Amino acid sequence: MIKRLIVDFAYFINTSGKYQKKKHFFYDLLENNSYKYKKYFDIFMITLIFISVVIFIQEVKSEVDTRLLYFNNYIISFIFLVEYLLRLWISSSISKTIIEQSEHDFILGEKFRFFKAFKNILIIKFRYILSFKAIVDLLAIIPFFHQLRLLRIFILFRVFKLFRYAKSIQTFTSVIAAKKFEFFTLFIFASIIIFVSSVLIYVMEANHPDSSITTLFQAVYWSIVTISTVGYGDITPITQEGRVVSMFVIIAGIGVFSFTTSLIVTSFTEKLDEIKDLKLIDDISKIKEFYLICGYGTVAKEVAKKLSIHNKVIILDEDEEIVSRATKDGFIALNYDPGTTQSYHKLKINIKSQVKAILCLGKNDVENVYTALTIRSFNKDVFILSILKNKVNKNKLNFAGVNEIFYEKELVGIVAKEFVGKHVAFEAIHALRSSYNGIDVNEIRITQRIIKNYQKIADLDNKKYRIVLLGVYKTKEKQFFFNPIDDTLFENGDYLLVIGNTQFLKEFNVLLNKKN
Amino acid sequence: MKEKYALIFGHNDYTLEIKKNIVSEYEAVYVLSLEDESENSFDLSDDWDTVDKKYKMKDCVAFCILEDMAENIFLTISLRDTFKDLTIVALAKDKEGADKLTLAGASRVLPTTQTTANVIVEMLEKPIVTEVLHNILYEESDLKIAQIKIKNHELFDGKHLTDIDWSREHGIIVISVVHEDGSKEFIYSAKSKHHKIKMGDIFVVVGYEQDIKDFEKLIGNKND
Repeated sequence: MIKRLIVDFAYFINTSGKYQKKKHFFYDLLENNSYKYKKYFDIFMITLIFISVVIFIQEVKSEVDTRLLYFNNYIISFIFLVEYLLRLWISSSISKTIIEQSEHDFILGEKFRFFKAFKNILIIKFRYILSFKAIVDLLAIIPFFHQLRLLRIFILFRVFKLFRYAKSIQTFTSVIAAKKFEFFTLFIFASIIIFVSSVLIYVMEANHPDSSITTLFQAVYWSIVTISTVGYGDITPITQEGRVVSMFVIIAGIGVFSFTTSLIVTSFTEKLDEIKDLKLIDDISKIKEFYLICGYGTVAKEVAKKLSIHNKVIILDEDEEIVSRATKDGFIALNYDPGTTQSYHKLKINIKSQVKAILCLGKNDVENVYTALTIRSFNKDVFILSILKNKVNKNKLNFAGVNEIFYEKELVGIVAKEFVGKHVAFEAIHALRSSYNGIDVNEIRITQRIIKNYQKIADLDNKKYRIVLLGVYKTKEKQFFFNPIDDTLFENGDYLLVIGNTQFLKEFNVLLNKKN
Repeated sequence: MKEKYALIFGHNDYTLEIKKNIVSEYEAVYVLSLEDESENSFDLSDDWDTVDKKYKMKDCVAFCILEDMAENIFLTISLRDTFKDLTIVALAKDKEGADKLTLAGASRVLPTTQTTANVIVEMLEKPIVTEVLHNILYEESDLKIAQIKIKNHELFDGKHLTDIDWSREHGIIVISVVHEDGSKEFIYSAKSKHHKIKMGDIFVVVGYEQDIKDFEKLIGNKND
């Protein structure tokens, strides 16, 4: 009966929207780096840690206000305790474990084994409690329970908590962790030298009446000071034999020191690209809207240059050299294969909300078809355009779900026609298209706000702004009305096609959208 | 004077597309391939007499569309060197090639990369403008763009360009005006605002075919 209730309750919790929403909120706040309010939470916690440490230092030599001590011992510790419990809560899901166990037992036709589920829950939770980060968190709370002087040291564990909140420290540890084996070797090497040399120096010096090395601890202290190339000089060997030992230790010290430095430097250089990439991916996930260009060739370069005037552009290419060239050209470029779904997962790009359009501008049709198909496999709606290199592949691109295809040779043919036709007219249009002489053709979207101020064509003040109104594009009818009559009414979503000085066009647009 | 024939130098993917688009503008379009055994071929030596005799170069416009940039530039230079007044339209891959071809004496340069990039960007940034202009330029609609030379300036009696409400009175939209010295001005630019309409001005207008015809009748003839 109780078991039944427990399982029902677990199902209820697991499916409750409110509960899951709350849990998700705390997960975002504590663990999700891309959650925008996590930053403020981290800053708050870091401030608490520093306050705690400052009070700790203050306490060493002088009396501290009891209220401050109270704040330090109870309030901060309490906040840390709450954080600890929340982390314990979100680390895993109890209800899920119960449900899994009950379903497992149900399928096997057995009774629900509550104790097995309970054991699993304990194992999972303890695994979290025993993790390094959780231990640090726990120790940081301890001053809450102990008033003993010595245990105050535990306050310093709060400093270790900084690892959780500062990203750069995390990066540093990950870099060091990547060279675990090398550091371990170095540590063993240094330990052996320290051990051998301290025993040697103790044997050589301990019995000499003038020697300052009288205990093994002093010998170890001396050899660590020497091997680290610090060399305080408070303890120095005075016997001939002792000095010979120190010469060896000094030489070994140089070796250890340079090995350590080079290790850190190389691990950083090796990881640098990766770190940069991660930072870039992080930045990209914060961009609201951008064009994604897959493949970087000559056409892509021109397109990116033009698009980046008013938009954000991100380039993907699988060739490292090409990516570095794109970066040199001043674009955000990433070395990922645009033809694999994995790349988009790794990049954390939300195609639906972030990408305005995807441009397949790879060096051949095979690449473009592949890229288009990859994207279509997980997103049906995003606008994809592609260039076509060889006419016979047009159908393949269509089949891959490309919305718009550009065949370079055909475009050139069309332009060629302009040259032999009406020169002046074409040139005029071209000049307009390329904002030459500061004159631009633009489309202005009619919004509700504009309609409030201007209901029909006759209301517009375009002549005053020296703007030619070419016509209205009616979105509903999907038709362009050239030179519309004065009574033409605007509808939400229509477009005005206007020609004029770039500056005046801007002002005109502002005027249209002004609150009346 | 308008040329009667078009000569396309080079046989490749571009040839077909260009030929398709210009064939209606000329009496004949000839394609010559480079160093081919066939009849319609040419080489890059300096002997243009046979080509000249066969096609009468003074009636021709030349399209240099060899895919090798160096060869194309060489072809342009040798054509320009032999035929001083020939109109040469040359194909360039990029900006650098375009500059070189202009130096080599090409009258017009078709930069392929630039063209493609422009079209793509326009389509993305101004889809409606692109669609409408495309329809106007490539004659898929009743809307036309035309250039009309003023031959009857008395009609406007020294009026300024902007004094007249072209769209209401004549049903056309004047976009820009080309002065006698060849300089182009947008209709609302500071300079053309004070410009009195005079003989020889060329108007670039957009309008429905019939309205343009009526307007032409009123002020002059179509200028080709």
